[in-house]
Amino acid sequence: MMLEIPIAALNHYAYCPHRCWRMFCAGEFVDNVYTVEGTTWHQRVHTVGEGFREEAWQVRGIWLSSQRYGLVGKADLVESEKGELYPVEYKRGKQNPWENDDLQVCAQGLCLEEMTGTPVRKGYVYSLQSRRRREVELSPQLRETAIATLEAVRELLTTGDCPPAVYEKRCRGCSLFDRCLPQAATKMARYREV
Amino acid sequence: MGTMYVIQEDVFLGKLDERLQIKHRGERLVDVPLLKLQGVVVLGRATVSPSVVDVLLERNIPLSFLTRYGKYRGRLEPEVTRNIFVRRGQWTAAGDTATSLVAVRGFVRGKLKNYRSLLQRKQRDSDRLDVTGAISQLEGAIAALPRTPTIEQLRGYEGAGSAAYFGVFNQLLQGTPFEFTHRNRRPPKDPVNSLLSLGYALLRHDVQSALNIVGFDPYLGYLHTERYGRPSLALDVMEEFRPLVVDAMVLSLLKKPNGLSLGDFEQEPLNGAVSLTEDGLKRFLRAYEEKKQSEFKHPVMGRKCTYQEAFEIQGRLLAKFLMGEIESYPPLVLR
Repeated sequence: MMLEIPIAALNHYAYCPHRCWRMFCAGEFVDNVYTVEGTTWHQRVHTVGEGFREEAWQVRGIWLSSQRYGLVGKADLVESEKGELYPVEYKRGKQNPWENDDLQVCAQGLCLEEMTGTPVRKGYVYSLQSRRRREVELSPQLRETAIATLEAVRELLTTGDCPPAVYEKRCRGCSLFDRCLPQAATKMARYREV
Repeated sequence: MGTMYVIQEDVFLGKLDERLQIKHRGERLVDVPLLKLQGVVVLGRATVSPSVVDVLLERNIPLSFLTRYGKYRGRLEPEVTRNIFVRRGQWTAAGDTATSLVAVRGFVRGKLKNYRSLLQRKQRDSDRLDVTGAISQLEGAIAALPRTPTIEQLRGYEGAGSAAYFGVFNQLLQGTPFEFTHRNRRPPKDPVNSLLSLGYALLRHDVQSALNIVGFDPYLGYLHTERYGRPSLALDVMEEFRPLVVDAMVLSLLKKPNGLSLGDFEQEPLNGAVSLTEDGLKRFLRAYEEKKQSEFKHPVMGRKCTYQEAFEIQGRLLAKFLMGEIESYPPLVLR
């Protein structure tokens, strides 16, 4: 049987493969101010429910899966307007500059397509801070990247091999920064013990 | 806040909402927010309510039990982390391996270098002191370490270096009414030994907690060999911290005008065990906690940290070494 991959792992992998390894292979998770805020927001979003927003039918906090891709995960919100279904992923901050959220939306779209048999053309990333939606087009390129990322995650979770910790600017916002010490190797190379 | 030390005998530890509450005969002595608690150390006896056990385990807050004199008795251990990779690296290096040799060399080098710099500092500060002999003995041992091919021989240098250091320790007490002849324990029979033993027991609680967080099995060590019920790895990593945290703090506490005096100690008949009075113990614990929270610049990471944080940083660096991410283990060596 194909190893089922949590949809959120794609997002983490695209952010940083090492973080993905720590979370899903080593079972580490540390809350920081960003994750606590995110979890609190999500508790509201994730309350399962059905309803309408003007013309749009909405369902919140439902599990999605795809047998074809071996994916499983929860969608914050799935909406349908004029018979067209699309996922909406809620994010705590402002729109972030990395494409990892798009991958997550795309993976949700792939699940929805398989579950309903109808094509999913787009999705949204909703920023809780700016209260705006950004449309994510499920373009062939995005689908390709999502599937490639999915395969990379599956490889990671199957082998358990640890990808190197690489220091980058975004490391500063990572809740696992103090565990991962991504600068250790370069700092060690320069260090002279007294 | 950090670690809470419970020194009043026969108290009750309960939980009220988000606070840990300490009661004695129904009377509330103190309560602290659980959020601020990094550890609990009970010296003596205490009743711990089921809900406190529950919340300490859930929040990964370690609880250690020491005797009134600081002898370690046991601890309430949260589940080990799921990070099997750290433990795999730790076990793969076990025994006489090239990796464990590098680690042990690091532990011993860290300890001896920190002994050396403590003595050098004291030598600079006082003309009436002559510890140069011990300093050069330590220099000799440190110089030999890189070429020392076995762990057994490294243990030999560690012993020789410690002997040289404790051989002049009494001189460091000049100007105080205290005397130190040799290191003794189980039970310590003079005030200085009793403070060192108590300090090392507290340090061990803290280092072991840090190693647990990193994901180590604290019972598999390299310098200290496996022995039932002994947290060998905690004792290994502790070595470099002994002079930095405990010895330095004890010396300053005995030298300070308002520090500890002979009147702060009491001796038991027959066995000669020496321990602090309750008031002395309070001041000692406060000094230890202050020392732990004092800041310095971590020489490898190049950023400010407290000793409390350094326990974990050293654990993480050791994990990185054992997992092959860095080439050697850098002990915390300070000037």
